[in-house]
Amino acid sequence: MQRLATQPGEVIDRSRPLPFTWNGKPHRGFAGDTIASALAADGVRIFARSMKYHRPRGLLTADYWDPNAFVQVGSDPNVRAGHRLLEAGMDVSAQNVWPSLEYDIKAANGLVGRFLTAGFYYKTFMKPARLWPVYERVLAQFAPGGTVDYDSAHEYFDKRYTHPDVLVAGGGPAGMASAIAAADAGASVMLVEHEHDLGGYLRWGDGAQRELADDLRASCDAHDGIEVLRNATVTGRYEDNWCAVVQRDHPHAVERLIKARAKTLVVAPGLIERPYVFAGNDKPGVLLSGAARRLMNLYAVKPGQRAVVLTANADGDRTVTDLERVGVDVARVVDARAGATVVAAHGGAKAVESVELSDGSSVDADLLVTAVGWTAPTSLLNLAGDRPVYDPQAARFFSDRVPDNIVVTGGLAGDGSAAELVEHGRATGELAARRAAVVAHTLQRLTSRAAPVADDTAQSMPPDDRSPLTRDAHPELFRSSTHGIVDYSEDVGSKDLVAAATEGYDSVELIKRFTTATMGPAQGKLETVNTVAVLAEARGETIAEVGTTVWRPPFAPVTLGALGGRIFEPVRVSSIQPWHEAHGARPILAGQWVRPEHYGDPEGEVRNVRGNVGIIDVTPLGKLDLRGPDVAKLLAHLYTNKWAKLPVGGVRYGVMCAEDGVVMDDGVTGRLGDEHYLMTTTSSGAAGVWEWAENWLQTEHPDWQVHITPVTTAFTSINVAGPNSRELVSRLTAIDLDSDAFGYMQVRRGEIAGAEGCFMWRIGFTGELSYELHVPSGYGLAVWEALLEQGADLGVAPFGLEAQRIMRLEKGHFIVGQDTDGLTRMPTVGLNPLIKLDKPDFAGKVELREAVEDDTLPRLVAIQPDDPDIVPVEASQIVRAGTNEILGRITSSRRSPTLGRSICLGQVAPEAAAPGTTLTVVLTTGQRISAKVMEHHAHFDPDGERQRV
Amino acid sequence: MSEPTTPLVFASAVTAVPSPDIGDAALVLSDRSAVAKWVVRAGAETNAARTLPRFGTSERAGDVLVAGSRPGEWLMLGAPEPVADRVAAVDTAGHVSLVDLTHSRAMFRLAGAQAPHLLEKVCSLDWTDAMMPDGAVVSAFVAKVTCDIVRRDDAGTRGYLLLSDRSSAQYLFDALVDAGSEFAVAVGPPKVGV
Repeated sequence: MQRLATQPGEVIDRSRPLPFTWNGKPHRGFAGDTIASALAADGVRIFARSMKYHRPRGLLTADYWDPNAFVQVGSDPNVRAGHRLLEAGMDVSAQNVWPSLEYDIKAANGLVGRFLTAGFYYKTFMKPARLWPVYERVLAQFAPGGTVDYDSAHEYFDKRYTHPDVLVAGGGPAGMASAIAAADAGASVMLVEHEHDLGGYLRWGDGAQRELADDLRASCDAHDGIEVLRNATVTGRYEDNWCAVVQRDHPHAVERLIKARAKTLVVAPGLIERPYVFAGNDKPGVLLSGAARRLMNLYAVKPGQRAVVLTANADGDRTVTDLERVGVDVARVVDARAGATVVAAHGGAKAVESVELSDGSSVDADLLVTAVGWTAPTSLLNLAGDRPVYDPQAARFFSDRVPDNIVVTGGLAGDGSAAELVEHGRATGELAARRAAVVAHTLQRLTSRAAPVADDTAQSMPPDDRSPLTRDAHPELFRSSTHGIVDYSEDVGSKDLVAAATEGYDSVELIKRFTTATMGPAQGKLETVNTVAVLAEARGETIAEVGTTVWRPPFAPVTLGALGGRIFEPVRVSSIQPWHEAHGARPILAGQWVRPEHYGDPEGEVRNVRGNVGIIDVTPLGKLDLRGPDVAKLLAHLYTNKWAKLPVGGVRYGVMCAEDGVVMDDGVTGRLGDEHYLMTTTSSGAAGVWEWAENWLQTEHPDWQVHITPVTTAFTSINVAGPNSRELVSRLTAIDLDSDAFGYMQVRRGEIAGAEGCFMWRIGFTGELSYELHVPSGYGLAVWEALLEQGADLGVAPFGLEAQRIMRLEKGHFIVGQDTDGLTRMPTVGLNPLIKLDKPDFAGKVELREAVEDDTLPRLVAIQPDDPDIVPVEASQIVRAGTNEILGRITSSRRSPTLGRSICLGQVAPEAAAPGTTLTVVLTTGQRISAKVMEHHAHFDPDGERQRV
Repeated sequence: MSEPTTPLVFASAVTAVPSPDIGDAALVLSDRSAVAKWVVRAGAETNAARTLPRFGTSERAGDVLVAGSRPGEWLMLGAPEPVADRVAAVDTAGHVSLVDLTHSRAMFRLAGAQAPHLLEKVCSLDWTDAMMPDGAVVSAFVAKVTCDIVRRDDAGTRGYLLLSDRSSAQYLFDALVDAGSEFAVAVGPPKVGV
């Protein structure tokens, strides 16, 4: 191959030479070249080695679908050389060859090729199973593909959602005409073209065809109603025309995945030329006619010196003309329409040297061009439920039935001159726009926020009134009298398919999976029809009888980066977070919340709370504002205890169970007014409890008048705990904090540190005298800082989540989800007095009625290891002494700085729950230790004297 | 008992450094979190429900924007005093509740012709005039954060008010700035207004 003089339709810019390297050697191409065209122009004929037999491979299609032109570009593996545009300085190399592309030692596989037929791996490496790890390591050495650079930079991928009236998949003549007609009719249009420019086959056509392409392209680019995406692919069509589009060249992202909800989808991908199966059909120098014409007319590359052309259609004839124009000696034109064909391509290992024909002759040639028909890429239609039907007269598949919101045009719909395709495209665009208008009308009618429509009556879809395209007769040419490669990506030959069919894999879906034909990077674009044809021949049936496989998305491979897109991982922070960060808090992620785990010394924080006063940011505590005359009814239904008599200013603890009696949340609720309550939930349970409550209101009790408003972050919540807490809080508020005026489990509203709209309640998760302040969040940080300032002489210091967890464990308070699990019913946690079975109804009542009598349920107990220095990790098993019989597990464990020893909570079988029982705990080391069941859940201050002062 | 000493100033949930010169930037994102925000809940049978805008639409009267954010739920947004007056004027006969969410929500204004293109990167909704005309109200995930969104054009400039939970506000603001980088989004000064 060599670079030609300037060609009339070439897309390369000869004023911009681009240096690059190929396997370490310098080369030069031009702007506009693909990697493949630049290499071809510089005389390169071998681009890769085949997957299994490592046979030398040259260009076949010279475009995106070329199965033989995957290369490594810098740290980028598996780059499609037939598509990726050349850039200056590219470091391009062949993949998976050793020691070199020209002399690949793995080509020895070809010598044992007859043993490597379909199913070889399945059959050979099944036994003995114990050797599979060895097999795996060896096979990995033969895996195809490039090299991943794990140190390469994480690049920016992006996502976008859009809602065009009409999405046109394919920018050939019919697609462009559709887009223009739809936009002229007022539709918003997104036109997606797989290649680098619009035009389809017109781009490498004659002068008149290029002129037509230029006109249509200019109209598309200039039309305000058309958004043109080049080098982009509609990779999938899903329910209601939800279409995935991968945009490969975007100035701000490596790739962008566009999720387009199209009102109408126009499918116009054109046709993909099909290879011919014969001996030697994968030798470098065997090209499809489209590839030869693209090389000559787009990239000014002379594809060979002396050619044989096998033609069954007008495209093959045009290729002959083009080859002769650029000076290729066309030694023989083999006209398949007259019954002639090619039998084999012969030559050395690396190139075609002669071509054997069906008339018995042999022609010396370094180039064999085939033009034997097309594959209809019906993938997007398959995804809409269409099952394509084979037409033997046209030798290709056509769509059968598609939904009203899909319209087909171009080669998928039929044949015709460029003008006829454009005319069909226009009619298609007009129809697509009319149908999109009906969808838009329906959406607007049914969406309250949408702009009102003039006519509010339902409209029906316009019928398809287009004149259909004709279908040209075409000979059925799939395999010659010899066997050759069917799937170039997977190295599957027609002989493999016949053997598989003989073994009984005689369904097209089975043979596909057994041989892996159509499962390589080309995903059936080149090989599906030939696979079906070879199978049909082997079964003695027609192609129509065999049918075809169902194409699934994606239509073209999608990178994981594009699928990931921008990574949205919301985090939540309280208004005090800037202070925490500035003061060295170690962050911990609790759900979406970033919280301070500690400020350097969690045990010191505990001691300070026990001895002085500490403050902790508990903003994530779920908070629901409840208003209405029926709130008490709702609370009584959600919680197991009673609520009717809770006075204004009172606070009550409650446990919430699911209908199976399993504990789902707990918290306190305060009554702020006659019909106004504030419920708190666990931090992780806030959203679930809201949904749970709304579910009861909206389904079982729509008659109850209750409004629930989540206000978790309306308030910054600060727990002030410790013996000095009363003194500290009193310095910031006029609320009377005397224990007679403001007792335990009561709530007061007022001003704190100048902030209006606050409330506080006396509760005690830490076991100390404590006040939980709820401050409007805009003032949260100010109040936090005021507490620290005003409490300096009282020893105030912040404490984090870890200190809080230690103190609650010292007090024996359980945490839902930590000390309970998805099977923990309420009697297990020891709160039976809160189960009021005399209430008319509440969530979980039926189950709990049984559960309270069930003496087999596990019990939550306080546990202390006999060795005070051993802290069993949480989830350590508790077993029956001397056996492995599991009796329970440790649910929480810490070292208590207050008691100077290890403390735990755990769930145990009832027979092991009595105070004083000695338990055996299995540590992660396997060591067994003894531990005692304590009398109370609380390891410290079991009577609660400290919190009630 | 000592007197409160804290000098209180409403602190936004967002640390946003205004762009040095937004000039005639085609796209401007600004913090409006200090706007007063109340939610009104009212049963369909109440006078309040009958007089407030229908779900999915909004009305602006003076300095107060009233948005029908959900069936039976409205947001009242604006400077604190006008909003307080508007809230006070709500007919509370029947099952009606009024909750101040000023501190619960953050609010941003995204304005400029490119605003829909930015939103297309972070939200799956259809931003065309047909489906989201001026005044339309919708709830949606924006960069995976639940938001109430009001289309609010100003003097011919397309604009959107985005209300999110306060705790996610900084994350959301940063996500919007990141998404807007390809459109040269500028950060405008904070403002109290709708």
